[in-house]
Amino acid sequence: MFELLGIPPQALFGQLLLGLINGSFYALLSLGLAVIFGLLNIINFSHGAQYMMGAFVAWMLMTYAGINYWWALLLVPIIVGASGVVIERLMISRLYHLDHLYGLLLTFGLALIIQGLFRNRFGVSGLPYAIPAELTGAQNLGFMFLPNYRGWVVVASVVVCFGTWFAIERTRLGACLRAATENPTLVGAFGINVPRMITLTYGFGVGLAAFAGVLAAPIYSVNPNMGADLIIVVFAVVVIGGMGSILGAIVTGFGLGIVEGLTKVFYPEGSAVVIFVIMALVLLVKPAGLFGRTA
Amino acid sequence: MKLKTLALAALATTLMAGSAMAQTAIKIGVLNDRSGTYADLSGEGSVVAARMAVEDFGAADKGIDVEIVSADHQNKPDVASNIARQWYDQDGVDVIVDVPTSSAALAVNEINREKGKIFLNSGAASTDLTGTACAPGTIHWTYDTYALANGTGKAMVDAGYKDWFFLTADYAFGHSLEENTTKVVTESGGTVVGSVRHPFPGTDFSSFLLQAQSSGADVIGLANAGGDTVNSIKQASEFGITQSGQALAGLLIFITDVHALGLETAQGLVLTEAFYWDLNDDTRAWSERFSAEMGGSKPTMVHAGVYSSVLHYLNAVEATGGKDTEALMAWMKENPSEDPVMGTGTVRADGRHMHDMYLFQVKTPAESTGPWDYYKLLATIPAEEAFRPLEEGGCPLVE
Amino acid sequence: MSEAMAMTEPATAPFLSVRDLEGWYDESHVLHGVDFDVNAGEVVTLLGRNGAGKTTTLRAIMGTLAKRRGSVRFNGRELIDLPPRAIARAGIAFCPEERGIFSSLSVEENLMLPPTVSQGGLSREDVLAMFPNLKERLSSQGTKLSGGEQQMLAIARILRTGAKFLLLDEPTEGLAPVIVQQIGRTLSELKSRGFTIVLVEQNFRFAASIADRHYVVEQGRVIDMIPNEELEANIGKLHAYLGV
Repeated sequence: MFELLGIPPQALFGQLLLGLINGSFYALLSLGLAVIFGLLNIINFSHGAQYMMGAFVAWMLMTYAGINYWWALLLVPIIVGASGVVIERLMISRLYHLDHLYGLLLTFGLALIIQGLFRNRFGVSGLPYAIPAELTGAQNLGFMFLPNYRGWVVVASVVVCFGTWFAIERTRLGACLRAATENPTLVGAFGINVPRMITLTYGFGVGLAAFAGVLAAPIYSVNPNMGADLIIVVFAVVVIGGMGSILGAIVTGFGLGIVEGLTKVFYPEGSAVVIFVIMALVLLVKPAGLFGRTA
Repeated sequence: MKLKTLALAALATTLMAGSAMAQTAIKIGVLNDRSGTYADLSGEGSVVAARMAVEDFGAADKGIDVEIVSADHQNKPDVASNIARQWYDQDGVDVIVDVPTSSAALAVNEINREKGKIFLNSGAASTDLTGTACAPGTIHWTYDTYALANGTGKAMVDAGYKDWFFLTADYAFGHSLEENTTKVVTESGGTVVGSVRHPFPGTDFSSFLLQAQSSGADVIGLANAGGDTVNSIKQASEFGITQSGQALAGLLIFITDVHALGLETAQGLVLTEAFYWDLNDDTRAWSERFSAEMGGSKPTMVHAGVYSSVLHYLNAVEATGGKDTEALMAWMKENPSEDPVMGTGTVRADGRHMHDMYLFQVKTPAESTGPWDYYKLLATIPAEEAFRPLEEGGCPLVE
Repeated sequence: MSEAMAMTEPATAPFLSVRDLEGWYDESHVLHGVDFDVNAGEVVTLLGRNGAGKTTTLRAIMGTLAKRRGSVRFNGRELIDLPPRAIARAGIAFCPEERGIFSSLSVEENLMLPPTVSQGGLSREDVLAMFPNLKERLSSQGTKLSGGEQQMLAIARILRTGAKFLLLDEPTEGLAPVIVQQIGRTLSELKSRGFTIVLVEQNFRFAASIADRHYVVEQGRVIDMIPNEELEANIGKLHAYLGV
């Protein structure tokens, strides 16, 4: 049996697939960040907290209202997205005339508050959320044992990412969004309600984070710190892909998931830093990111 | 005239000494993780446990005025050191208790040595506290990596799980736990076929678990803690690793982790603890009181250790009639500890609190009668077998 | 000055009536009370030197100048306190000096971007018939077009919206003479279709070829109005105003 760099090919395929699964979360989260950054020019530091809220709201719907996973997948992004709309209207919208740094500080503060509230109420050990009955079990792929739920995560993420890309790059609504990203004043002068579009865009980006949170609930522990652990990596993904680039966020998200997966095989100790090393290299060679447009 | 002054001075001294006897003021500092990974297993629960010890001791009736303060060290050694210094130098704290996270505990241990104060550690795991880093004022109360490795490692090898693969958190605690367990496994006749070190803290362990799976080991030793352990176990179940016959050995698992996992996922795990709420009538009664204050959560062994150590300390204060570190330490090491929660124990010369440890297995959902009914007792490990022999630790106090 | 204005006012209320319009960029006061009127179906130009306040006047009418004061009555409605999007919805369309073609949008998307604000706009086919160059480049990136094509696209897209009142900011700037002629023909055709146009121009020969009246702007005020038929008679005065 041949080996590749000392790793049997089965193991390698398995790891590639696992990388793709992690990449699904990176892609969904960095996509939301990219959409928000594109139009609002704000680095949404509360994205991780909103992802965590997604998982918690799914848990609450299940525990207090008996609403199952599938409904949660639909309802949670709407509920958490609506909270994003409120935050944008009440707070973020007041900062557009200031330096970007203020938006970053505000959303960072919000993230700490949200995490603190959940920690206070639910503790840090995490809460169990069962995999929906339809997706329990696993497929034996020969080279690995793929849990059905993980397969579903990849499918759901690809569909949502592609759907978002299509909506932004190929529809009239998306054209308005792209135009407003370039020149909001002129778009407003055409009679389009740009402030409302900004609000809804923020809500949508937050909804994407919440969707990722629901997807994550059955496989990662539902705990108040789950977003904080993940979000730093996701920021790196966004920087590598190019701030605000939709396609960049998606491709880089999946791609870096795979790169990280491979690192876990060849040099496990480095898997926590490989993404940041790539980020540093990309910033040196192409500061606008792999898919970024140099302004 | 001169005589009169002397007499007055003598009188005053007597009066002051008398009042000191009647009204000793003790300030206990509970230093632990109040917001991060270990907040549920230590955190506010440890403050509650300390308060219960003060109540049960009857401090008020005995003329000892006890105040409890607490702070969050965020699992960071530098934060822990700063708080410890501030407490000793400015706030008049007499004794620091709990302090989970080995690196933070070792940092506090050094401040403590410098200030000549007492440190009752319940939350941390590192055997160094009673080994090369042992200090005259430090007692390591509840558990350590040796006891965990010894209990779980030996039991698993004896049960036929000979080939081990380690999933290790890539920092000091994980390394030391892996090392301790490796020693026990090989001494008991098992072998270690491999190990992988994962970043701390991590979220996705599936990649490492697949590597463990393809190693063909009988058992995967989880040399990590808290959320990392919970996620490792969850994902092992998801990827069919436990179902395919490989066992998991949780080397540091608290009851709060099992609660988070749910029995469906955690069932069958073998683990070592110093305390379980459902051991006997005394532990049940005490845990009931604890639960009432903590919104229904049952205490962990760390909480039990805080209670037990604070009680032993207060007994020493009463017996010696003061706060002199040397006298208190001498008393605590000479006299056995005795309480309804951790039973009887002794404090060894190196500061190791010696007591029985318990080997538990997590119940199946069918065996459990409800929330928090999680463990069945497999074996009681006598204190002398549970902990590292005195001479192996290399503690300078012993020679 | 305002007496002169009053004399030229027609009996019916003008389509657009600007009074005492003041405007600021941050702290600098740029418009100091602009007054002028535009009647329905007219082509009117704002002439003046660089920095006189012509572009700022258009931006103040459109509402994209953040700080403004005075009165802009359009079609019987006061616009001064409305946001740009409401002004657009009232029926004023704007073609900015820098053309404002979006690079992340295709030509087609650029063309279809401005929403319909009222009935009676040109259809997509009418527009493409008017600008045949665009038809072949519909799927290109907007900013890949030549300068002249970008200018045509910038005009073309606001013809679809149904707005009958156009603000055009220097549509001929930097373009080759043959393109300028083409734009001149287009504007004449628009006029014949009933559009009302306010044109900011440096090139007063071009302005003379299509406009009905010319307002002269200097230091943030309208200082004179010259009907196109009197342009030749006033050419000396005009040269003095424009410094040519």
